[in-house]
Parts: sequence; structure tokens; C-alpha cells
Amino acid sequence: MAGKAVIARAKTTVVSGGTGARRSLYWQYMVEPFLYLSPMILLIGSVMLIPLIVGISYSFQSIELLNPFATGWVGFENYEKLWSDRKFWIALENTFFWTFWSIFFQFFLGLGLAMLLNTQFFGKKLFQALVFLPWAVPTFLSALTWAWLFNPVIGPIPHWLAALGVLSEPYNILGDPDLAIWGPITANIWFGVPFFAITLLAALQSIPGELYEAAEIDGATPWQSFTKITLPFLAPMIAITVMLRTIWIANFADLIFVMTGGGPANSTQILSTYIFTTAFRKLDFGYASTIAVALLIILLAYAVILLWMRKRLVKI
Amino acid sequence: MKKFLTGITTAAMLMGSAAYAETTLKLVEVITSPERTKVLQGIVDGYEAANPDVTVEIISLPWGQAFEKLATMVAGGDIPDVVEMPDTWQALYAGSGQLASLTDHVADWEHGATLTDKTIAMGSQAGDLYMIPYGFYLRAMFYNKALLAEAGVEPPETMADFMAASAAVSELDGKSGYCLRGGPGGTNGWVMMAAAMNGTNDFFTEDGKSRMNEPGSVEGIQFMLDLYQKGYAPKDAVSWGFNEIVAGFYSGTCAFLDQDPDALIAISERMPAEDFAVIPMPVGPSGKAFPTIGFAGWSIFKATEHEDKAFDLVAALSAPEANGTWAKRVGVIPVHKGADQDPYFQTEQFEGWFKELNGAQYEPTTMPTYLEKWGYFASTVVLETSQEALLGQRSAQDLADEWAEFLTDEHAKWQAKQ
Repeated sequence: MAGKAVIARAKTTVVSGGTGARRSLYWQYMVEPFLYLSPMILLIGSVMLIPLIVGISYSFQSIELLNPFATGWVGFENYEKLWSDRKFWIALENTFFWTFWSIFFQFFLGLGLAMLLNTQFFGKKLFQALVFLPWAVPTFLSALTWAWLFNPVIGPIPHWLAALGVLSEPYNILGDPDLAIWGPITANIWFGVPFFAITLLAALQSIPGELYEAAEIDGATPWQSFTKITLPFLAPMIAITVMLRTIWIANFADLIFVMTGGGPANSTQILSTYIFTTAFRKLDFGYASTIAVALLIILLAYAVILLWMRKRLVKI
Repeated sequence: MKKFLTGITTAAMLMGSAAYAETTLKLVEVITSPERTKVLQGIVDGYEAANPDVTVEIISLPWGQAFEKLATMVAGGDIPDVVEMPDTWQALYAGSGQLASLTDHVADWEHGATLTDKTIAMGSQAGDLYMIPYGFYLRAMFYNKALLAEAGVEPPETMADFMAASAAVSELDGKSGYCLRGGPGGTNGWVMMAAAMNGTNDFFTEDGKSRMNEPGSVEGIQFMLDLYQKGYAPKDAVSWGFNEIVAGFYSGTCAFLDQDPDALIAISERMPAEDFAVIPMPVGPSGKAFPTIGFAGWSIFKATEHEDKAFDLVAALSAPEANGTWAKRVGVIPVHKGADQDPYFQTEQFEGWFKELNGAQYEPTTMPTYLEKWGYFASTVVLETSQEALLGQRSAQDLADEWAEFLTDEHAKWQAKQ
């Protein structure tokens, strides 16, 4: 026993030359920063990581509030159920449709508004305030308002659409399974345009004016200025806002829940509304967590792809 | 200092008056709104004036969390004396021996004899009265007089008449027959139609099988699908909830609406009284109709130390005059015989409900709320699947089979626990 101790001691003395410096490096780079960061790490861990891990662990368990005694680990049973769940696939398809068209219109209308607000015209300040107004309205209220606007008894939209020949007669598109999803999408566009307008306007205002002057002197057309100066400068902001908004909209259940409740016949059911009904109507938290994990994986994959594209395409 | 002294004196006086009131009764109300609490407070003030030795403390629980809150209060030993009891909790509290029997109290009560038979039946469980209902939320059929006259049809009495009248109204330009509730809260409609065509409102057979997919019930479900698919209901009614059907009715878009008296409050504000009336639900081939009924009432907890005083309070709340005031403000059908003689209830608007309550061919249906997943079934399963059927994606039989399977399973689970 004593012999072993001697050997060990002998080993440490062999490397002792560099230990002091290495320990201080180790201390300086590996321990000390984390020591300072520890309150934040603890905070982030307790408010984000732990719930995330608990949430994911729920997806491998049976947790039904109405059967409190039948809880327990079930392995991949919930995931197998998910694979053969018709409603999940409908909701997934709707999620893509809802997110794509909401983002598409929000982005292009937002960009147009930002470019417009970046010019000088009479009454700009009032116009600017009006543009940002939807952002200040609670989503619940805007959902209710839009739901009524689409109601032919009270709202004008069906009558306008019928007059324009889009609808054969003034009826509520929220009750038509083929068109219902366009109701919440319209409300979402109205609600989300200011976000893009604000962020893109800020990015536009940061582009140095000399660049445009130089381009003008060189004889560039407005389209060339737009594609060669404006777009490259906006690109980093576009990438990050589109990514954030996509994740946000894919998770955004309020409008759909208030306007259509996922109906009629699941035609507007997206994954996040499906998670909500599974958790709080069916009271099956295990299965709801499984759907939530599926959504999380899809969004993570999307974020990775977009960040990769941003790195490859955006040079600045 | 002066203010402080005044405060002390006031506090002392208040304590003195509290000491004078020997008894404090705790009353918990669970279906609340500021307006409603004001009416309740008014009735309670009258009781306190007549009983100076009693103070009543009203505790209002918001309906959304009322079930959990009351259960926690009771489990924690903070048991109220008098409680507002919705029909859906009655089985739970009476069954677990928490409630005082009111049978003897009511027998001695001067107004006990005027309570209608249905009131006593609804408040009773296993032969004992545990609640004095304060009113009924009963379904009846509103109809638009002008639209019916224009279409040249009479108010319907049977399901066949109802279909024919709906068809006739739908012939009119831009009008529909029935304000169908295809969206949230539509379950009652499906249950009533299925029961009317099947001739019974029993949810299960003796061996615990759901009656939902019996041929009669399927016919009832098909009846609703026909109303919609033949265009006798507005196209977007597939997603209509309470607000939409009521708006559809008062705006004159559709001629028939089955609803509780609480819809009357919104409708009578926007529609002249002479333009509409209320008739009983149409009867099916068996000559019977089964309007769904919901109710709530006043119960006394067995743990109370002042049972007699507590009953005096319940009696004050349930006395014909107080009950009449309550029913008018809350939108329910009152519980005493002869209440239909009140001029307020003697209108055409209330006729339908009183006919239903007094007619032998109308059997009120209570939902099987004792099933654990009933809430999920009614709010989600029926909603989604019935919309699929209304939109022609599945058949009535298919729908009925899925519902029956769900209910039979739930019933078996419930029975296993008994």
C-alpha cells in the first residue's frame, strides 16, 4: 500500500514542471468563466432545460389526468401511436400550409411597407403609427374581430368577396373546409406585417446613403440598386426574422383556436392546436408531449437548415 | 390621530355588531358574474334583515376553477354551510355523503308543496332530496313568426313537420330553416335528435351498451345531416357556436333555433317580442321528445353546525318570489307550481318551456356527466366527427358507431368503479 503511494507521488513529481502553469490555464479558461456564469446557467437550466427535459420525458410516459393511477413509462408507444395517427398527419400538412402562406404574405407586405416608410411623404408619421397598430392589439381580440368580419350576418367581407365574384354567394369561409384556413391566415397577415415592417425599416435605415448616390452616378437602375445594395444589406436581417417568425407562427395557436377551433372537421387543425386539445381537452399529457416533441424536431431541423443557408449565402 | 381614533371606534362598533350576530353562514356560489352576485346579495340582504342574528358571507368562485376550488375547500375542512350545486356535481357530493338531506326540511316548509314534481325529482338522489334546484336550463324551439308566415307553414309539432317547415323557409331567398349548431357546444342537438327518433333518452341498455348506434338513433343523426346537406341550414353553420346561432336567429337568417332560456336575454334585446315565440321540441315517431335539461340549485353541507339556519337561508333563496326574481335575471325556468301564471312568464316566449315541463310527452334528458371522459367527448370528439359527417366525409352510421363505442367503453369503466 505504501509502495503504491510512493509510485503515485513519484508520478506527480515527474510532470510537476508544467503543472502550475497548466492548472492556472485550466482554471482561467475552463472553471473561472463558468463560475461567473453559474447564476445565469442555473437560471437558464431551471427555466428552460429542466422543463424541456421533463417535457420530452413525458412523451415516453403515459400521463392521463383522468387515469392518475395508470401512469408509467411506455417506451416508444406514444411515438408508434403518432405514426398511425391520421389527425397528426392532417395537422402537419396544415401546419406547413399555414406557416408558409402566413410568412409569405407577412414578409412581402412587410418589406413593401418598410420600403414605403423609408421614403419621405406627407403624413408619414401618422401612417407609420397606423401601420404598427395591429401589433398592439391582443391576439385574442383580433381573432374575435376577424371571426366576426368573416361572418356574413354581421361582417362585410363575405359580401365583398361575393361582389368580386370570388364567392358564389356571401357565406362564411370559416365554415368551408377548403377555404377555412385562409381566415386565420388573413388575420395572421394583418397581425404580423408590422413586425417585418419595423425590423426591415430599421435595417433599411442603417444602409449608408452614399452607396445609393454612388450607384446613381454609375447609372444603376432602381432595380439594380435594389438587388445589388438593398437586398444584400437586408439579407442577414431577413434570414433571422424569417427564421424567428416561422418558428413563432408554426407554434402560434391563438388565432386558429379562437377563430375556428381547428374545425370544421380538422381542416384548420395545426400541430400546436392539436397539442392543446390533446393536453387540455383529452387531458392526455403524455401523447400531447409526443406531438410537441415531433414539432420541436421539425422546427430544429428547419432552424439548422436556415442558419446553414444564411452562412453560405450571406457574405456580409 | 383623529382619523386613527375614528377608525378604532368604527372597528370596535363593527366587531360589536358582529358579536351580536350569533351565527355566520358561509354561502358559496360557483356560477358567477357581477350582475348575478348582485341579485344574490339582494335576496340575502332580505334574509339578513329578517334574521338579525345571522350574517351571511357570500364567497364567489369563478366557474372556470370552481370545481377544484370547492373540492379543495371541502377537503381542507373549510366547508361552507350552503352551496350552489350544479347538476353535474350533485352525484359526486351526495354520493359521498357530504350533503344534508333536505326531505324533512322541505316537508315542514310552507312553500315545499308548491315545488313542481320535476324539481323534486331532479334534486333527489336515491330517494333523498339533496338540493332544491333554483331553475332549469331546458331546451325548446325558438321560431321566427314572420319567416314562417312568409313560407306559409305552421309551427311544427313533429320531427317530420320540422323538416318540412325548414325546407319551406329555405325556399325563401337568402333564408334557411334551422340555426344548426355544428361547432362548439353542438352535442345537445345531436343527442336530442337521436333520442327523439329512437323514442328513448336512455343512454345505455341494461347490459351497458350505448344506444347511440341503434337504428333509431342513426336515423336521428341522419336527420341532422339531411337538414344541413339539403341546404335547410346555412352553409357555414357547420362551425357555428352559441353566439353564431343566436345571431343567426335574431338577424332573421334562419327561422328555428333550439336553445335554453338564457338565449332569450340576448334575443329579446334585439328582436321585438311579437316577432318570435318558443314552442316545445318537435316529437319523434314515438310521439315523444327529449329536450336536454341542465339545472343547478342550493344544497347544505352535512358538516354545518347551523343546519336549521342554513335551511332558512335556502328557503329564503327558493321562496316563490325570490325564485321568480332569480329566474328572470339568470334566464332559467322557475321551480314552483303556478310560476307560469306570472305575467313575465305568460308570454309566448315562455310557453314552450312550460309546456315541456308539464307535458307527459316531453321527457327532459340529463347528460351522462358521470362518465369521466364525457367532457372530452362532448367538446372534442362529437365536434370533430360530426363536422366530418356534415361535410359529407363520413356516414351517419359510421359516426354513430364511433360514438357508441366510446360511450360503451366509458360506461364500462364507470361501472367497474362502482
